[in-house]
Formats: sequence, structure tokens, C-alpha cells
Amino acid sequence: MMDANEREVYRAAIHGDREAFEMIIRTHSRPLFAIAYGILQNREEAEDAVQDALVKAWKSRWRVRDPEKFPAWLCMIARHRARDVFRKRRPIPKDLEEHAPSCPTHPVEDTTLELDQQLQTALATLPEVHRAALSLRYFEEMDYAAIENRLGLSNGSLRGILGRALARMRKQLKPALASEQP
Amino acid sequence: MTIHDEIDELLAADLHNELSDEERNALHTHLVECADCRQAHQETKAMNKVLEEKFGNEKPDLAFENRMLDGFRNRIPDHAGSSGRLLFNLLHSRATQLAGVAALLLALVQVGRIITGEHLLGGRGESLALELSVAPMEARDKEADFAKSDALRAKKTSYGYGPLKTAQDSGVAAPAPPATVTGGIARPEVAPEFHEEKPAPKMATKERVVVTGSDIPTSEEVAQNPVDTYRRDDTESTATTSPALANRKLIRNATVDLEIVSFDQAVQKITAFANEEKGYVATTSSEKQENGKLKGEIVVKVLPENLDRFLQKIRGLGELKNQTLGTEDITKNYFDTEARLKNARVMEQRLIDMLKKKSDDINDLLQVEKELGRVREEIEKMQGDLKFWDSQVQFATVTISLAEKDLEEAAKYLLKERAQLALYTPEVEKVYNDLKALASPKVQITNAQLDRDNTGRVSARVSMLIAPEESDGVIAKAKAMGRVENFQVQTERVAQGGEAMSENANTKRDKVELNITISRDEQEQAFQQTTLRIRTSGVDEKAKKLRELVEKQGGRLRNSSFSRDPEGREYANVSLRVPMKSYNALMQSLDSLGKVENVSVQRQDRTGGQIDEANAPADLSIQVYSQGNIVSSDTGVIATLRRTIGQSAAAIMWSLRMIGVGIAFLAPWIAAIVILVWIVRRIRRR
Repeated sequence: MMDANEREVYRAAIHGDREAFEMIIRTHSRPLFAIAYGILQNREEAEDAVQDALVKAWKSRWRVRDPEKFPAWLCMIARHRARDVFRKRRPIPKDLEEHAPSCPTHPVEDTTLELDQQLQTALATLPEVHRAALSLRYFEEMDYAAIENRLGLSNGSLRGILGRALARMRKQLKPALASEQP
Repeated sequence: MTIHDEIDELLAADLHNELSDEERNALHTHLVECADCRQAHQETKAMNKVLEEKFGNEKPDLAFENRMLDGFRNRIPDHAGSSGRLLFNLLHSRATQLAGVAALLLALVQVGRIITGEHLLGGRGESLALELSVAPMEARDKEADFAKSDALRAKKTSYGYGPLKTAQDSGVAAPAPPATVTGGIARPEVAPEFHEEKPAPKMATKERVVVTGSDIPTSEEVAQNPVDTYRRDDTESTATTSPALANRKLIRNATVDLEIVSFDQAVQKITAFANEEKGYVATTSSEKQENGKLKGEIVVKVLPENLDRFLQKIRGLGELKNQTLGTEDITKNYFDTEARLKNARVMEQRLIDMLKKKSDDINDLLQVEKELGRVREEIEKMQGDLKFWDSQVQFATVTISLAEKDLEEAAKYLLKERAQLALYTPEVEKVYNDLKALASPKVQITNAQLDRDNTGRVSARVSMLIAPEESDGVIAKAKAMGRVENFQVQTERVAQGGEAMSENANTKRDKVELNITISRDEQEQAFQQTTLRIRTSGVDEKAKKLRELVEKQGGRLRNSSFSRDPEGREYANVSLRVPMKSYNALMQSLDSLGKVENVSVQRQDRTGGQIDEANAPADLSIQVYSQGNIVSSDTGVIATLRRTIGQSAAAIMWSLRMIGVGIAFLAPWIAAIVILVWIVRRIRRR
């Protein structure tokens, strides 16, 4: 439950209070950026996506009927925007995502790559929600409940998502990690 | 689920500080035991670290929020004022949005209607949409009505005031009576009128006095008159009641009707009674009837004082049918005549004296003689009258009518036969001529007529009188000439020589009267009527087959029709006539045509007469129809549903059309306005 003050801000923003909306921009831009970055893995693009999302949110703010859902709604707009940008940039063939788990079968080649590069690749193989959840966690250090709220997930499902994401990552990056950690 | 299975989640949550104390303890206990999980724990920790580093590097800088704000402000300039917000708030309400949409649709519909000039004349399907649009119109009409009625009321009131005003005006213009009323001189002003009128009443009273004065004596006279008449009456009544009964001359007579067993015996007894009562039998007469019975009349004279006793006696002779007793008072005539007789006698004496005295002039003598003759004649006549009266008064006359019992019994009977024969034949004229040819000395044609009306229908009537011995043969011949529809014989026994019943009277057969009506058999009413339906396929063909069947059974087709309705069902109506003898065979053969349904048979019972049942016509009206929906497709749940859906679809289509028209009408303007606004904005931005 959010406190009454916060709720009032959202309500005012929905009803066209520009100051309230700017306040929301101040407090919510970073999580939005985290989500966009999780999806896009690119700072500039993520910033633009957040900017677009904010403008769009202002224009269509009247669509939100329940002020409590305003943050989640903002995140959804940001996600959609980021996804649009991502698709425009590089249409990923669907099988790439499916074949992603097969990547660890070629660890020998991967070891030659830089850790950062590998990390990037591993992240890219994750589903969109996983990436968004990871970035929210590691950028903003938000607790699980808040992340669930933002991403519109059901209660308690984030633990599984993050667990699986981390496990997959560590399995993919096992050689690199091993080399890094003596 | 064990910890080992969930190790990935638990490890991640542990690193993110999202485990409860219990879970953490359980996890660490497991990590001590399980080498695999320990390995995983190590790896995950390393992974977490890598990720923290990576994201830490990529974190947005401190100016990030400001950049976002600036970008936002640039892209959404803050010029929408508070009025925009109010508008937004209004727009934000869902009710407003719904109402707006509805209003828009309605407006479009109205615009469409205005453009197309469509009115309420549309079909049922339009009612739904129309009701919506009609409601406001009605309201408007009502308002208009109200306005009208208000106007009317206003007019009325003004009209109401009109006369009042004029009245007041005229009142003011006229020499004002109200003023005089209020003034003190009111009474004197009213009084003069009375003074003027007074003389008239006075005169009236005077006149009245005069009239009453003249009336009083007459009324007194009237009052006196009744007294006078009473007195007169009194004198008269005393005069009439005074003469003594003894001197009265009364003639008594009686009539008696008697029914007796034997006439002769009765006459003997009556003679004996008459002698007993010092009377005599004056006359007897008797008459013998055809049936041998006697009736007659006896006149008996008896002394008046014995009359009652005599009547008592003769009553015992037989059954008294009638008795009258009458008295005639001849007192006045009698004494008048007596007085005149006295005068005439005096006259006679004088004339005789004249004859004795004067005997010189023969002329005078003759005159006197003549006069004397006339007077004597008168005297004789009067003496005769008196004698007659005396005799009448002396004896009472009893007239006895005697009739033997069963006087009315019939002497013989005549048997009259009257026969009615109705014939149906295809050839009316031939039968008519054949019947006429039957004429012979014993068969007498009394009436024969052939009628032909303007529609070509022929009918004939023949009446004949037939000698009794020939009658049966002739009737049989006539019957054979056509189909007998009706034959009735009426027998009448006519009594002759008396009305009453008789046992021994004989009966004689009279000529037979035969009336024959001949008509064409088409006009004959069917003996029975049958209606039925045959359900089959191939109506036309089956109808043809039906016609063949009918001809085979010796029937005749009277009427047939064929029709096909819009739904493709076919009907053939055939009406035909067959003789009754082949009716059953035909009915059975109908089964071969299809399913026979709704058979209804109506038989008309003919009253009386003999009916040739085997040859009597039977009418059949048959409807051959093709299989299909017997129940009308217009009824039923599905039909109703279909209709309803159809109507609502039509309504929707109608409103869509109207909306379309509205859009077409408004769209160019809206587009123009939008473009204009856009251009203005562009110009302003620059």
C-alpha cells in the first residue's frame, strides 16, 4: 500500500497537475531507465526511450483510473517503448532466443571473449522480463515487492525469476568467472 | 520441494537479502551438507558481484533526472491553462465520456435524418432508433402545446375581459343607475314607476267586481238546478213505482235445447207434461238427418204460473244444452190500444147516429159510410191485437229444440290422397313431356308449367288428378323418370254428412292429386358433403389422377383450381360429385394419392319422403397440397426471434446509415477546422 501523500500526487498528475507530474518524473525516471536499459542494454537509447515514455504518459494520463496503479502503468509504457526501439534496431530471429541455452556448449570459444562482452551476450539471451527485473534490482537496489509491483508481476514470482536468471547467467559465464576468480 | 531443488532461487534471494531468518538458516545448514550447492553458492556470489559491478558502471549520472525534466518540458510546453484542466477533468469522467459518445451518435443520427428528410414513416425496424430521436421532439411539441394553450388562455381571458370592459364603458356612458342607487334619492326614483302603474291594477279590480257581480246569480241558478232535477226525479220515480204488479200484461216465453236419446219418446212425454200443466202442444216439427238421427222442435203452451214447474219437468228428459227464459212487458201498448179502442167505439157510435139522422144527401151518406168502414176496420185490428196479447199473456210459450244423441256422426268418409314428388333429372323438358303424355280419361292433368329463368336453369311443375285405381301405376311411372329426391303422400279422410266420428260409416277413395316438380340435378343438394385434404408431392399430377379416379367412379368434376404460394407450396382444390353408391370406393382409392387428412363429413338429414340413397349425390371438396410447413412460418419462437433480430438489424442499419450521412455531412467541416487549427499552431510555434 502506498501512503496517502504519494497517492495524492499520482491523482493530481492524472488530473493534469503538471508540477505533480514533474515530481513523478524526478522520483520515477531512474526505475524507468533501469527497465529500458535492461531491455536495450544501451544508455542513450534507454534515455530516449524513457523520455518518450514520459511524454506519452503525460498525453495519455487520463487513461489511468486508479492512481495506485500509476507507477506500474508508467513502467509498462517504458517497457513498451523500449521494446519498440529494440525491435526497430535489430529484429532478432525467434530461434535465437530458443537456442540461447545451447550457448554453453561452446564455452571454449567464449572464454576468449572479454567478460563484459560475455555478460552482454548472456544478458541478451535472457527473456525481457528477466532483464528488466535484473536491472531494477542492480541499478536501484529495489526490494522484490517493489519490483513485482512495477513490472506487474504476481506476488512472490520475482524470486523464481531472479533465481533462474542468475543461475543461467552463472552457468553461461562459468569459464570466465572461473578465470576471473582465482 | 526441497532446498536443493530451489537452490537457485534461494541463493539469489539470499544475496539480495530477501530471505526470512528461517529460510536463511535452512539454506546455510543445507550448504554445509551439500557440496554441489556450496559450489553453486560460490558461483552465484561471483556472478552477483560481476553484475553489481557492471550495473554500477552503467548507472545514469546525477543530472539524469534534470535531463528528463528538460526534455519533457521542451516537448510539452506548459500553455494549457486551468480551463484546459477543467476540460480535462470533465473529459476524464466516464459518465461524461459515455454521454458524449451517445450525444455524438444521436447528433449524427439527427443530422442524417435532417439531410435525408426522413420521417417517422419508416418500418418497424426503425422504431428503436426513432424512439430515441422522437422523445426530444415530443418534448418539444409538448412545450409548443403548452405555449399554445397559454396563448389561448391569454386570449380567452382577454376575450372575457372584453365584454366586461365594454359593459363598464357603456355603464359609464349610460345615465348611471349605480349612482342613483348609492344616492339618498334612490327610493323616490323607484317609487314613480309604481305610481304610474297603479291605475291599471285599480281598473282590473273594478272589472273583476263587475264580472263577479254578474257571475253570482248564474252560479246560484246552477246551484238551484240540481235541486229541481232531484225533485223531478223523485216525482218520476214515485210515478213509475206506483202501478200495481197485478195489472201488468206480461208475456213469458222460454226456449230449451235438449239432447235426448229418442225423439219420439221425448215428444210423448212432453205432451203428457203439457196436459198435466193445463197446457197443450202447439206445433211439432222433426227432421231426419243423413245418418238416420232425428232432430226437431216442439212448441208448448202452458199457463204462465205453471211455466217454471213445466221447465223443471222437461229437464229430466235428457241433457239440457241451453235454456233461456224471457218476459216481455206489453202493459203500455195494451192499455194504449184499449184506450184507442174505446175512442174508436165512440166514433163508431157517432157515425151510426149521423147515418140515422141525416139521410138526404147521398154524398154525405157515402162519406159517413166510408168513414165508418175505416173506423170499424181499426176497431177490429185493435180487438185482434188485444185478443192476441190476451192469448199470449194467458199462456206462456215454451219452444223445445230436441236433438238425438250423436246427431253429428259422419255418414261416410272420403279418402283424399295428395302426393308430392320431387324429381331430379338431367333432361327436364323430356320428363316434362313424358309426364304430360300420361294424360288419359283416368289421369287428368290440371296444371303443367315449365319455367326457365334468365340463368338458363329449367324447372317444371306438373299437377294431375288420377283415378284411385290408376294412381299407384302412374306414380310408379313418374318415379321411374328421374331420380326421386323426395316423395311425400298426404292422406286426408274427409267426413261427409256430419263432423263427428263414426264407427259404421264407410270410406271411399277419392281421386289422387299428384304434384310433381322436376329440376335439373345440378341444383340438387348433396346428400352428404365431405371435405378433406391430401398431402402429397407433385400436386398437379396427383390432381390429374384424382380426376381420372372420379370419372372411373361415375362422378362428375364440378370445380377445380390450382395455386402456388410464394413459399413454393402448391394447392389444388377439386370439388366433385359422385353417387352415394360409389362414394366408399372413391374414398378408398384416395389413399393411393397421398396422406388423407382432415376428413369431415356432413350429412343433411332430409325430412320425410323416400330418398334414393344409392343414387343420391355426395359432394367432395378435396384439397391436394404439397408437403411443407403446415404451421405457418410466421409463428413460433424461431420465427419471432428471426423477426426480432431482423428488425433490430434493420434498426441498427438505419442508425448506421444516419450516422454515415451525418459523418459525411460534418466530416469536411471538421477536417477543415482541424487543418485550420493545425496551421495556426504551426504559425504560432514559428
